[in-house]
Amino acid sequence: MPTLSTFRKLDMLRARLREQRKSITKTVAICGGTGCQAACSRDVIDAVKKELSEQNFSEEVRLCVTGCHGFCEQGPVMVIEPGNTFYCHVTSDDAPEIVSRTVARGELVERLLYTDPVSGKKIQREAEIPFYMAQDRQLLSQNRMVDPCSIEDYIAAGGYSALTKVLKGISPGDVVSQIKASGLRGRGGGGFPTGRKWSECREAPGDEKYVICNADEGDPGAYMDRCVLEGNPHLVLEGMMIGAWAVGAKKGYIYVRNEYPLAVKHSRVAVKQARELGLLGDNILGSSFSFDVEIARGGGAFVCGESTALMASIEGQVGEPRPKDVHTVIDGLYHRPTTLNNVETWANVPAIILNGPAWFASKGTRGSTGTKILALTGRIKNTGLVEVDMGTTIKTVVYDIGGGGVNGNKIKAVQIGGPSGGCLPANKFTLPVDFDALIEAGSMVGSGSMVVMDEESCMVDVAKYFLTFLQDESCGKCVPCRLGIDRMLEIVTEITNGRGTPQQLDLLEELADTVSQTALCGLGKTAANPVLTTLRYFREEYEAHIKHKKCPARVCKALITYSIDAGKCTGCGVCRQGCMHKAISGKKKQAHVIDAALCEKCGICRSECKFDAVLVA
Amino acid sequence: MLQYVNVSIDGAIIHAIKGASVLDTAIEYGFCIPHLCHVPNLSDIGACRLCIVEHIVNGRANVTTSCTLHAEEGMVVQTNTDRVRNLRRNLAELLVAQAPNSRAIQDIAVRCGVRKVRYPFRNDDCVLCGRCVRACAEIWKAHAIGFVGRGKERHVDHPFSVRPKFCKQCDYCIQLCPMTITPCNGPMKPGKERFCGNCESQLIIAEETGGCSWCRLGEGFGCGRYAGSKAR
Amino acid sequence: MQPRTLDRILNGRRSQPNQLIEVLQDIQEDRGYIPEAAMRDVAQELGVPLMEVYRVASFYKAFRLKPSGKNVLTVCMGTACHVRGARLVLDQATGQLGVNPGEVTRDGFFSIERVNCLGACALGPIVVENRSYRHHMTPGKLRTLIKDISRQKTKGARNANA
Repeated sequence: MPTLSTFRKLDMLRARLREQRKSITKTVAICGGTGCQAACSRDVIDAVKKELSEQNFSEEVRLCVTGCHGFCEQGPVMVIEPGNTFYCHVTSDDAPEIVSRTVARGELVERLLYTDPVSGKKIQREAEIPFYMAQDRQLLSQNRMVDPCSIEDYIAAGGYSALTKVLKGISPGDVVSQIKASGLRGRGGGGFPTGRKWSECREAPGDEKYVICNADEGDPGAYMDRCVLEGNPHLVLEGMMIGAWAVGAKKGYIYVRNEYPLAVKHSRVAVKQARELGLLGDNILGSSFSFDVEIARGGGAFVCGESTALMASIEGQVGEPRPKDVHTVIDGLYHRPTTLNNVETWANVPAIILNGPAWFASKGTRGSTGTKILALTGRIKNTGLVEVDMGTTIKTVVYDIGGGGVNGNKIKAVQIGGPSGGCLPANKFTLPVDFDALIEAGSMVGSGSMVVMDEESCMVDVAKYFLTFLQDESCGKCVPCRLGIDRMLEIVTEITNGRGTPQQLDLLEELADTVSQTALCGLGKTAANPVLTTLRYFREEYEAHIKHKKCPARVCKALITYSIDAGKCTGCGVCRQGCMHKAISGKKKQAHVIDAALCEKCGICRSECKFDAVLVA
Repeated sequence: MLQYVNVSIDGAIIHAIKGASVLDTAIEYGFCIPHLCHVPNLSDIGACRLCIVEHIVNGRANVTTSCTLHAEEGMVVQTNTDRVRNLRRNLAELLVAQAPNSRAIQDIAVRCGVRKVRYPFRNDDCVLCGRCVRACAEIWKAHAIGFVGRGKERHVDHPFSVRPKFCKQCDYCIQLCPMTITPCNGPMKPGKERFCGNCESQLIIAEETGGCSWCRLGEGFGCGRYAGSKAR
Repeated sequence: MQPRTLDRILNGRRSQPNQLIEVLQDIQEDRGYIPEAAMRDVAQELGVPLMEVYRVASFYKAFRLKPSGKNVLTVCMGTACHVRGARLVLDQATGQLGVNPGEVTRDGFFSIERVNCLGACALGPIVVENRSYRHHMTPGKLRTLIKDISRQKTKGARNANA
């Protein structure tokens, strides 16, 4: 395709692509995201392609391999339009039937329809699935009908019209004003006002400036950025282009973490295709704007999600954060003014330009406008990606969208914002998803990961888990983080081993406070949050471990014993065979016994017993 | 041409070189701000966090390291508030609990107000201050040693743990290392670590706050005041 | 390391210190680890001190300094997987194979790695086996998977001897 050297050529291309797509009567969209691929969606895609060709539908039916839809637990996922038919857990064996019945005749294949776990009913249309209904999928809905490896899809769907609007007649200063007016705040964790960041970068002295997309989504439990980048890389690119125009940058980087190979691949394809069309390079669309993007891969370090560490990594160095006494908008990548924003932040920009800042600001709350993508996972019925208006309460997300606890278990807490966030107890679920409200409660929106925990989670163990994670990921440069986290972990471990003392709780709090005030970077500064929030809201669990040497959730290995209920045990021997410590003995069809001296309390026997005969006390 | 700016340190208006670190400025003018990883003429990395001060901006007090804070006109800094002293004490406590086997670390702890150590002692032979690494890289540009690994595994080593031929054994790394200063009563064997904190020279240090008193700690350890000063 | 492969990796990147991580990643993908000789060559060709190359290679978890096992089992230890029992899956792996994460079995056939969140959280616990994502893993499923892979080894040996 020849390069688009003028705005008109882009408009013409878009019109032509739309004309071509008019002859298509049906679209079968199959998710090719990482999650569904894990569940073998590639086989489904190949099978459907084969069927469409054999049944002579290739001309009028478009098979679109899309990015992640977010409802990963139901994967592989398929949506057939028109009709908005939603099929889940599709296998390659279903392909012939899907094509011959649904595609050909509009007939539903009942067994592939989604069953609502709460009502038990089958639902045909995607839009009617309760999981999706309470959402406002401004960003994610675009994933459904766009093949991430096709710039034509993106353009046909209206892509790059925001860029056109900007280059045709909105000055950089005005773009900044619009972003400011929208109230957009950083979606990566900091929640810093994006407009202000762009403004400061624009005003920083220097000719060489950079924009960076932070796709180093390291928060465990977070995969929003993966979804957006894998599923719609051009949306992010377009946002970056508009940002680059606004701050005066000619070069941009998309820094993708190593553990997202598909996101790396799709970003590379997107950049290549944009370059081929002349949407990246010199004098884009005939304007005075020149801009190019490079993809940089992370090396497997959570700390590289921190802006200065990320920049060091792009520079080819170790990801050790640098002091930020001078902000990176002034002294950033290669000591030049740099605007670093999260994937989701960039993805929001085109729509703000097209629909105006007032439209964006009309959603959400005064301090937190727009929508936020949350990754709802853990001990909850409906896990997946959820996009809601800011201000939606946690209760709505967890119960109306999430469907409540798995197995009807009572939900105890929600961990929001990754290791830098904190755990909020159930009685705080009336809090809205709002930057300031959550900070006040001691947590934060952070990246948007929400891990749900029920009575089977021990909150002291959760604190230990996060401290272990942060200790693993700390760069180790500064004393408070390197030694402070280590000592906090030492104390919490003692508590989980039943050797804690009440004085240690005071010491823990004092140490947590010191670390949060003196650490060099955000990782260290927020490292104490898991400890502080669990101490604040779940102190009784700590006290049970210390005073009564008991773990109420029966998780902490040193405080529990495994035994077999002779009444329920059928002597099937599954536990005995699976026990790697040879702690279970018993004859066939006779009640088995666990030798407490040998038992390592790994819990594997309990997870495999089909008769609920293994007890933990 | 050196430019000068007026900064306020603990209420005193100081004529500072524009762009010089607040730590260098303070040491020059006789304020005692404890520090460990700072060495005059080497880059400052803000790793030990002991030199923290309160930087007052728009009515808010931000705690930051004075070695990475550069003097600007009108800057206001407090080096000895209760908040900063408490934080320093807790940091020094962590350090001495980790590496008590050095007189320098013990003295720093006393200077920062540590009275008792509430953590089980360890016996590390390196506090990762990075003085050796920076000296090798910046003075000799040899890069014969460096930091290896991450987090808890971070340590100083040669490439592939073998001393390279281009290490000329200048011994600068050893000269700058705080761990080479033996505790008064000899090296502490594992299991026998303790917090000293009660000899006369230490108690003198402990009593002084704020102003430099040319203490024994600085002399032995090469604190910035001694190292940078022409007077001895 | 084949000189031609290293040459290909270094093409267009010589004397550019900021390409260090990209170069190491390509070497890691090609060999499964970063050999000492490769690091020395990279230091020379990119103009980076050897200490710095070694430092970067040891800092990032993506780089292994020793060869891994023939089959690498990566267990995700992210929060969502953790609350769904990732610990049990890891215990199964270490117990059954007799090595800790980061180590290789004596016969060089298996190694175990931990990773902090792969981003497939709704499908956890996840184990990646030679680039293939296995979802909803349980200790039992992992036991079977390891047995199946081991069987291939003996089959391979039998075929070699036949």
